[in-house]
Amino acid sequence: MEITVTGANAITSPHLHVWDWRVSLYLFLGGLSAGLAIMTSILHVRKGGNLAKGDRAAVSAALWTPVILSVGMLFIFLDLERKLNVFWFYLTVQPLSPMSWGSWGLLVFYPVCILFALAAFPAEKRKKLAFRQLIELSEMLSRYKLHLAAANFGMGIFIGIYTGVLLSSFVARPLWNSAILPVLFLTSAMSAGAAFMIMIASQKKVKLFFTKVDIWLVLAEMVLLPLFFYGQYTSSGANRESIMPFFTFNHEYFWYGLAMLLLLVVLPIALVMKFLEVNEDHGEELSHEALMKMNLSALLVLAGGLIIRFSFVYAGQLSHLS
Amino acid sequence: MPKYAMVINQRRCVACMACVVACKKENEVPPGQFRTRVIENTEGTFPLLRMELRSELCNHCDNPPCVYNCPTGASYKADNGMVLLKHNRCVGCKSCVAACPYDARYINEEKGYADKCTFCDHRVKEGKEPACVATCLGKSRVFGDLEDPKSPVSVALRENHAEVLLKSAGTKPRVYYVKKFSKPE
Amino acid sequence: MTKSISRRSFLKISGTTTVGLTVAATLPDKFLLWAEEQGMIKATYTPTLCEICFWKCGVMAKTLNGRVVKLEGNPNHPGARGKLCGRGNGGAGLLYDPDRLKTPMIRTGERGDGKYRKASWDEALNYVAEKLTRIKQQHGPEAVALFTHGTPTDHFLPLLSAFGSPNVGMPSFAQCRGPRDVGLELTFGEGSGSPERVDLINSKVAVLIGSHLGENMHNSQVQDYTEAIGKGVKFIVVDPRYSIAAGKAHAWLPIRPATDLALLLAWINVIISEGLYDREYLQKYADGFGELAAAVKEYTPEWAEKETDIPAAQIVETARLMGKNAPNVCIHPGRHAAWYGDDAQRSRAMGILTALLGSWGRPGGMYLATTASFPKGESKPFPDTKAALNLGPYPFAGAEGVTQAIRTATIEAKPYPVKAWIVTGTNLMKSVPNQKETLEAIGKLDLLVAVDVMPFDTVMLADVILPECSYLERHDALAVGKGKSLTVSLRQPVVPPKFDSKPGWWIAKELGKRLGLAEYFPWETYEDKIKKQCQGWGVNYEELKKLGTITIPDTDNPYITPANQPTFKTASGKIELYSKELKEKGFDPVPRYTRHPVPGPGEFRLVYGRSGVHTFSRTTNNPELNELFPENAVWLNAAKAKEMGIADGSYVVLENQDGVKSNKVRVKVTERIRQDCVYLVHGFGSTSKELHKAYRKGADDQQLITRYAVDPICGGTGMRVNFVRLKKEGSNA
Repeated sequence: MEITVTGANAITSPHLHVWDWRVSLYLFLGGLSAGLAIMTSILHVRKGGNLAKGDRAAVSAALWTPVILSVGMLFIFLDLERKLNVFWFYLTVQPLSPMSWGSWGLLVFYPVCILFALAAFPAEKRKKLAFRQLIELSEMLSRYKLHLAAANFGMGIFIGIYTGVLLSSFVARPLWNSAILPVLFLTSAMSAGAAFMIMIASQKKVKLFFTKVDIWLVLAEMVLLPLFFYGQYTSSGANRESIMPFFTFNHEYFWYGLAMLLLLVVLPIALVMKFLEVNEDHGEELSHEALMKMNLSALLVLAGGLIIRFSFVYAGQLSHLS
Repeated sequence: MPKYAMVINQRRCVACMACVVACKKENEVPPGQFRTRVIENTEGTFPLLRMELRSELCNHCDNPPCVYNCPTGASYKADNGMVLLKHNRCVGCKSCVAACPYDARYINEEKGYADKCTFCDHRVKEGKEPACVATCLGKSRVFGDLEDPKSPVSVALRENHAEVLLKSAGTKPRVYYVKKFSKPE
Repeated sequence: MTKSISRRSFLKISGTTTVGLTVAATLPDKFLLWAEEQGMIKATYTPTLCEICFWKCGVMAKTLNGRVVKLEGNPNHPGARGKLCGRGNGGAGLLYDPDRLKTPMIRTGERGDGKYRKASWDEALNYVAEKLTRIKQQHGPEAVALFTHGTPTDHFLPLLSAFGSPNVGMPSFAQCRGPRDVGLELTFGEGSGSPERVDLINSKVAVLIGSHLGENMHNSQVQDYTEAIGKGVKFIVVDPRYSIAAGKAHAWLPIRPATDLALLLAWINVIISEGLYDREYLQKYADGFGELAAAVKEYTPEWAEKETDIPAAQIVETARLMGKNAPNVCIHPGRHAAWYGDDAQRSRAMGILTALLGSWGRPGGMYLATTASFPKGESKPFPDTKAALNLGPYPFAGAEGVTQAIRTATIEAKPYPVKAWIVTGTNLMKSVPNQKETLEAIGKLDLLVAVDVMPFDTVMLADVILPECSYLERHDALAVGKGKSLTVSLRQPVVPPKFDSKPGWWIAKELGKRLGLAEYFPWETYEDKIKKQCQGWGVNYEELKKLGTITIPDTDNPYITPANQPTFKTASGKIELYSKELKEKGFDPVPRYTRHPVPGPGEFRLVYGRSGVHTFSRTTNNPELNELFPENAVWLNAAKAKEMGIADGSYVVLENQDGVKSNKVRVKVTERIRQDCVYLVHGFGSTSKELHKAYRKGADDQQLITRYAVDPICGGTGMRVNFVRLKKEGSNA
C-alpha cells in the first residue's frame, strides 16, 4: 500500500497530538485530590471520628485537597487555546459532554471540600483559623460534619471517575474506548489519595490504616490493568493495535515500553512493601527506617499513578480507528 | 428543512487539489492548515496495480461525537444537517479534535478556536455550492439536499452503491463515497 | 450576493465605509471576509484571464476593498467552464508573493552573482534602449534575439519585429510541442490546436501515449477527461509510470521508454492487416495507403513485443478495441513531445493512426476547428529583415523558432553574431537542455534583459531586470479561441500593479519609444488598442468587460458532414499517410523505427512530468501551492530500491552520464514505475536565492538533462535521453 496524503493537518498527522503533559498532569493531580478527598472523608468518619483524633492529617488533608486541585486546574487551564473564553464553561450545561459535567463538578467540588475542611477542623485547633467568622463557621459546620463528609466523598468519586469517563467516550481513540478506563482511573486516584494520606499523617495508626486501604487499592489496580489490556487485545483490530506501543519495546515506542516495565515493577514492589509494613511489629512509634519505607512505598504508588496518566494520554493519541 | 450531504465519485477524481486550494481561499484557512485533503492510495505490485483516490473532509455526521463532547456548545448540529461551530464560544479545549474519528478538525493557529469544514454554509445560504464542489474539475464532489429526489446527491445515491468512512464508528456520516477504485470493475 | 441594498444597510454602509475604507485598505483578508459576511463591504467580481499556465482560463477575481481574496472560474470561458484548477485557485499567491520583483534592477556584480542595484524605469529603459541601439548599429538588428512564452509575446514579439530582427525562439516549440505539431501538419496540414481539439466526451475509446492527463492540469480537457471516465469511455494508457490516468485506464501498457513508435507501428500493422481501418474515409480523404501498408508490414505485434516489453496479445487486443470502435476513437496527440529525437515521426505515426481510424473530423476523435475568424486589423508593416537564424538547419521548424539554434548561433557567432537576448515570461535555464551551453551563450552576450514577475533562475543572470506585474494587474492582448466555436476573451487588471512593476505592454511601448519605434505602438494605453480591436471585430467592449468571454454564435462546425467538408492544407490537399514532403527533404516518408540507446547496469533513464499543483518552475515559490507540494521526489521502483538498499523517504543524489550531480532529493519508493527509469516532477531545485521558498528545494531535472537528441526534421530537443545513477545520502534531512 502506497499512501500519499496532501492536505493533512499537523495536529492530526501522523497521529493526533492535542493533549500533552499539561493534561496528563491535571489528570494525575485531579485524581490525587479526588482520592485525597475520599480518604479524608473516610479518615473523619471512621470509628466515629476517633481515627482522626490528634492526627496532623485531620486538618492538613482536607486543606491539601483544594490546593492540589488548584495546581492541577492551573495546568488544565494552560492547555486551553482560548483561555479568555473559559467562562463559557459556566454559561451552559452540555448534558452529553463529560467535560461539561467535569467543569461544573469542579465548581461544586471546591466549596464542598473547603466547607468540609472547616467542618472537620478539630475543636482544639479552631483558634488557628484566625478570623472570628471562620471560627464561628467552623463551629456551625461541625454539626454537619458527617453530611459534608458524605458530600466530599461523593465529589471525590465523581472527580476521580469523570476524567476516565471523558477519555473512554471517544470512539475515535480506541485505546481509551474501554469501560474499564473510568474504573481504573478511579482506583488509581483513590490509591494515590491513600498514599498521600500515608505521607502526611502523623500517627502510626492512621498511617497503618491507610496502608491497609492502599493494599486493596493497589491489588485492584493490578487486576484492572491486565483486564484492561486483555479487553483491548480481544476487541476489534483498532483496539488491539492501540495497546501495541506498550508491548513493542523498540526505539519508536521506547517510552511506552518503559512505562509498561515500570508499572510491572513499581506496583508489585509497592504492594509487597506495604504488606510487610502492615505485618511488621513496629512497637510504640514507627522507626525512622519504617517511616522512610512507608514514604517510599507511597511515592512508588504516586509514581505509578503518574505513569499511568502520562502513558495513556500519549498512547491514546497514537491510536486511531481507520 | 434541507438535509445537506455530499457524494464523492472517487473514479472521477484526478487528485488535482483544486478543492484543497479553493477551500482555503474561501474560508481563510491559515497557512499549513487544511479543511479537506486528498489521499492517493495504490495497492499491488508492478505492473498489477490498483489505485484509489479519496478526498476527505468533515462528514457532518448525524451522530457527531464532536458535538456531544463539546463542553460549551460551540459545536452544534444545525437543522439543515451541517455540523457547525460558534467560534465565540470555543474555549480551545480540543475535545472535538480528539473526538473526531476522521481527523476533520484542527485548531486555527491564528485564532485558537477549533475549526473545520462547514460545507461552506455561507455560500449555501446564497444558493451557491461549497467552494470545493464549485471548482472540482472532475465533478467528483457533488453536493445537495437529500430531501430533494432530484438533487445530484439523491441521484448519485440511487444510481450507485455508496459507502461511508468508518461505518462501524456509528457516526452516521453525511459524506458518501461511490465508485471507490479508479478503474471500473 | 444580493444586488439591491436596503435603506438601512445603505446608511449603515455609507456611514461605516467612509472611515472603514481608509483603514480597511491595509486590513488582512480575514477581517475583510468577516466584514463582507456582516454586509459592511461588498465584494466585486472582475473577469480576467489566468496566466499561471498557458490554458488561459477565464477567471472571476473576487476582491474585497482592493484585496484579491478568491479566484473562481468564469462560467463563460470554454477553457474554464466556471472552474479553476489548484494553480488557478492559488493565483493570488503570486500576486502577494513577498519575493516578487519590485523595481527595475541593473546588475552590479558579475553575471550570476545576484548583485543588483535598484534603478528607476527611465534609467533601466534608457540603458536597454541605448545598448540595443548600439548593437543594431554595430551588428544589425538581427543580432538581437527574443525568447518568450505566454502573453508577454503579444507585446515583445511585435517589438522585436519592429526592431528588425526575425530571431524569436519560443521554448514551447523545440522543447515541447513543436515535434507534435510538425508531425500532424505533415499529415493533416494543421496541428491539433492548443487546447488540443480532442473530442473525448464523445469517444468510445481514447488513447493516451505518454500523456498524464489528470496530472497535467489542462482545465477543460481534464473536465472532458473526467466526463469521459464518468461515461465509461475506455482509455488505453501507454506510460512507463502508473499515472493517475493509468489508474483509470481500461488497459495500462507499461511500455519500455523510447519504444513508443514501435507500439504505434504495430498498432497500424494490426489495423491494416485485420482491415479495421475506415476504408471509405481513407478513399475520400487520404493518399498513400499502399505505401503505408507496405512500410509497416515488418512491424508485427510479435516484433513489437520484443521492443516494447508489452505482450503481443495485448497489442493486438488494444488495436482491435480501437478498430472496432472507429471512428469514435481519440488518439490524443499529446503535448510535450520532445522525447527521443524522432518525435516528429512519432507524431506522424499518431496522426496516421488517427487517419486510419477515420477519426479526424468525427465525433469522439479530433474535431474540426472553427473556420470563423475575426477580421485582421490594420497595422504598420514591419521592416524587412536579414535571413533568420532562428530556424536552424531544420526544414520543418515552426515560426516560433528553435531556441537552441539561436543559442548555438550565439556561441559560435555563426551565421552572424547574436549580441543581445531579451527573455520574457520564460525561464530558459529550466526549459532548454544542457544548462552549460545556455550559460556559455549568455557569456557571449553584450546584453541580457529579463522581463518577468518573479526572480527566477534566468532572471538572476540578466544585466537588466524589468519587473512585469502579475496577470491580475494588467491588460494583455485579446485572447481568440478557435476550438469548437470562435471566442474572444479579455484580460483586464483586477488590482493596480504592486510596487513599481509595470504591464508588459507598457514596457514594450516605452522601450519602443526609446528605440524610435513609437509608430508601432499607436495607442496611449493597451486598453485603447483593445477597444479599437473590439470595434473592428463587432464585439461589444462593455459587455466583454462584464462577461470576460464572448462566444460568437453559430461558429461551430466540429464534424465532417456533407455540408462541412474538411480541408487539408497539405501539398496534395489530402491526408498524407505517405509524406512526399518528407521524402523530398530526405526523411522517411513513413515513420521507421530505430532502437534508441538504453540505460546500462545501475543506470536509470530520467523521465519527468508534471504535478497538478505546479506549472513548470513558475509556481514552486507560490506559498499557496508550495505548501501542498514543496519539493519533488524521485520515483524509484520498489524492487530496485530493495536491491539497492534505498529506503522510502531517504535522500539521494542523482548523477547523470556526464557526471552532473543534482541536489539531494527525497526518494519515493513505489510500485508505480518500471525498473529501468526514474521519474521527477519538473521545475524544482531553483538556483535563485531570491525565491525563498523554492531555493534549492528538490532536484532540478533540467540540470541533469545535459544530453539531448535533436530531431532533424524540426529541431525538437529530445530530453528523455539522460541516464542517471542514484547515490545514497548520509541521513534523512
